[in-house]
Amino acid sequence: MLWRKIARHILALTLTVLLGGLLSAFLVRLAPGFTVDEAQLDPRLNSASVRALRESRLADRNILSFYFHSLNRALHGDLGTSISLGEPVTTLLRQRIPQTLRLVSIGVLLSWAAALALALSAAWLRVSAYDVLNTILSGAFLCIPAAVLALLSVLWNVPGSLAIALIVFPRVYRYTRNLLAKAYFLPHIITARVKGLSELRILLWHVVPVVAPQLLAVAGVSVSIAIGAAIPVEALCGLAGIGQLAWQAALARDLPLLTNITILVTLVTLLANSGADVIGDMLRGQRA
Amino acid sequence: MRPPEKVGRMKFVKAVALSIFVASLAAFAAAQSGGELRFCLRSEPKTFDPLKVEDDASVAIRYLTGGVLVRMNRQTQVLEPELAQSWKVSKDGKQITFKLRSGISFSDGTPFSAEDVAYTVQQLMDPNLHSPTGDAFRSGPGNVETKIISPTQISITFPAPVAGLDRQFDQVAILSAHSPKKEMAVLGPFMVADYQPGSTVLLKRNPNYWKRDAQGRQLPYLDSIRLDIQPNRDVELLRFKRGEIDLINSLDSEYFDKLGAASPQLVHDAGPSLDSEQMWFDQVSKAPIASYKKTWFRSPAFRRAISQAINRDDLSRIVFRGHAQPAIGPVSSANKFWFNAKLKPQTYSPDSALKALQSEGFRLENGTLKDKDGNAVEFSLITNAGNKYRERMAAMIQDDLQKIGVRVNVVTLDFPSLIERMTQTFDYEAILLGLTNVGLDPNEQMNVWLSSSENHQWNPQEKAPETAWEAEIDQLMRAQASSADPRKRKEAFDQVQEIVVEQAPFIYLVNRNALSAVAASVHGASPVILAPQTYWNIESLSVH
Repeated sequence: MLWRKIARHILALTLTVLLGGLLSAFLVRLAPGFTVDEAQLDPRLNSASVRALRESRLADRNILSFYFHSLNRALHGDLGTSISLGEPVTTLLRQRIPQTLRLVSIGVLLSWAAALALALSAAWLRVSAYDVLNTILSGAFLCIPAAVLALLSVLWNVPGSLAIALIVFPRVYRYTRNLLAKAYFLPHIITARVKGLSELRILLWHVVPVVAPQLLAVAGVSVSIAIGAAIPVEALCGLAGIGQLAWQAALARDLPLLTNITILVTLVTLLANSGADVIGDMLRGQRA
Repeated sequence: MRPPEKVGRMKFVKAVALSIFVASLAAFAAAQSGGELRFCLRSEPKTFDPLKVEDDASVAIRYLTGGVLVRMNRQTQVLEPELAQSWKVSKDGKQITFKLRSGISFSDGTPFSAEDVAYTVQQLMDPNLHSPTGDAFRSGPGNVETKIISPTQISITFPAPVAGLDRQFDQVAILSAHSPKKEMAVLGPFMVADYQPGSTVLLKRNPNYWKRDAQGRQLPYLDSIRLDIQPNRDVELLRFKRGEIDLINSLDSEYFDKLGAASPQLVHDAGPSLDSEQMWFDQVSKAPIASYKKTWFRSPAFRRAISQAINRDDLSRIVFRGHAQPAIGPVSSANKFWFNAKLKPQTYSPDSALKALQSEGFRLENGTLKDKDGNAVEFSLITNAGNKYRERMAAMIQDDLQKIGVRVNVVTLDFPSLIERMTQTFDYEAILLGLTNVGLDPNEQMNVWLSSSENHQWNPQEKAPETAWEAEIDQLMRAQASSADPRKRKEAFDQVQEIVVEQAPFIYLVNRNALSAVAASVHGASPVILAPQTYWNIESLSVH
């Protein structure tokens, strides 16, 4: 049963990634300014050079042909060459992935640490003033746009991962807090409390196992949120990661680079979500 | 035999003397060290190959690492010898002969000779290269011939005269014909030591650099240059304030004032630069705009009246906080030789503009200007989104033209969309943009002025000149390009400037001042108007 579910996930993931890449390629192709290069405005370039520049941009105008050729090349390990940076896409991704991986993983860990600490303490203490304070805090961070948090991190000279953490934190906190609050009203937990079990034992033995599968699902979503936040954070903080590369590629209408980044981001997001889903199912299976 | 206590004292004295000597040596070494200069590149360098350079970041790296035969002094605007001891241009302007310095090596130790110059020129003139540097030498069909006369002498012959031939070599960094390191072997003061894509480029002093100062000390003084890739100007300013970087080129006027208010000694206003801000109307006959609008835009009287109704003083004073000068014509007054001093500044007069329009059949009805067929005069003015100065200029132009009954709709587009409209679909009415001039010679703008050119922005790729004045500009630009006599070239280009001001295909608005910031720790900096403003004399800079 579980294997069938994993197989279904792999199939869905493959199809979504392929479609996501194709959609991205279409959107870039349809974006105004796809066929032009800023360099052609250089007054020193003669007409032949301007035409050559233009022709080079038009080489990929048939998107279906571009996409299938790209997939064919990708199967042989070649992801093409970036139009705007003139480097192989494989090299660019290899150079930038570690930065984004570091940024996103630290950001997600920090956000989870903060969200769990606050949500668990609120659930444990059950003091309404404390709960309200936490809700206001998370609500405030939810209202601040990602770009503003990124700019503040630059202004205060704090790591970009903290901005990512503050972007992810309110989403994780609210969901976790609601799950815990609901869990405390389950009959077996009320019974445990009536029987005089300690709060810590109730939390660790009765509440956490109940909410763990749902929390895992949120973990998958939080990875997607962090990857999305990495684009403004890296672009504004000048961090050389995938997010900054995606931003540059979008501005330059860099079809090969943008398509590959979309495929990569879709793949990572889906893997995180599917992984969380499968592990959640396994946990639920164990409990059953 | 010395008593033991005396031997002990001697040892102590020797140890102290040795410590003082070592400390002095360390202090001397520290004094000799030029330190590390840090500043920002605003984009990723697209290439380290000096022949393919087109973007600003790569131009900066080429300037710092490339060895050139001749270099234009950015302060005096005079050409000075570098790798070439002397040079001579033939009377017909087709040939140049260089006498090279001997005993020079590339950064990797490969010796430099005429063979490297020949190799560089052949690579540069490859028709498939399509680089701005190479195209500047292409004045006619045919091949370039290089003749190595001796290891230190070479002549280069072009198929047609090249205007300002010797000055063009300021942009040509010499490559090694033999080094296995290819373009990474350099003759300039620095060499690329490390590159972290998206983050930094580290340049280290070239140990084989040939220049020495008056005291015989090898140049450059600096040990290294750290170039941080930082597209965000706010972050760049913040880092300068924190002392994380030492220079800012092309500083925004708003930041200049903010920084100047706190530390006036750190900011420098070198006066009007070569760059201009200008607007123009779409004059393309096949443009998808209403035909009555095309009639307005193709009328010199209409364009002149619009020009007259724009208050350039206010643009300079308000938008650029006084750090800009009202533009007079296609050449900034900063370009000492080529600026036509006979041209008069455009006077702001909405009344005269209105009268001129009325004499062309336009009339003012209830505050709205209408043409002779009753069409209200209204057009959209496009500029690039995110450029706050152009957005403010567009808003002020909108207000100015409202005074003569003209309604302007300001539209901002991202740059690729704007270029597409400007160069391919011609789906626009008026554009407000800037022109960045990297060189002084008008030949570098040849592809703007020739009517057949792709970069003839108001009406590109004309099969034959569509107006008499464009035909005259074509003829004058070709005449100046084919002459080796600077006086004749100046006469021809002066006429071009007069025609452009008279016909107003471009409405020149302001020349922005060259603003920069230099940290107090940088010694020897003397910012100028020409790029690279703050580090043009990089060999003489040091950081303490």
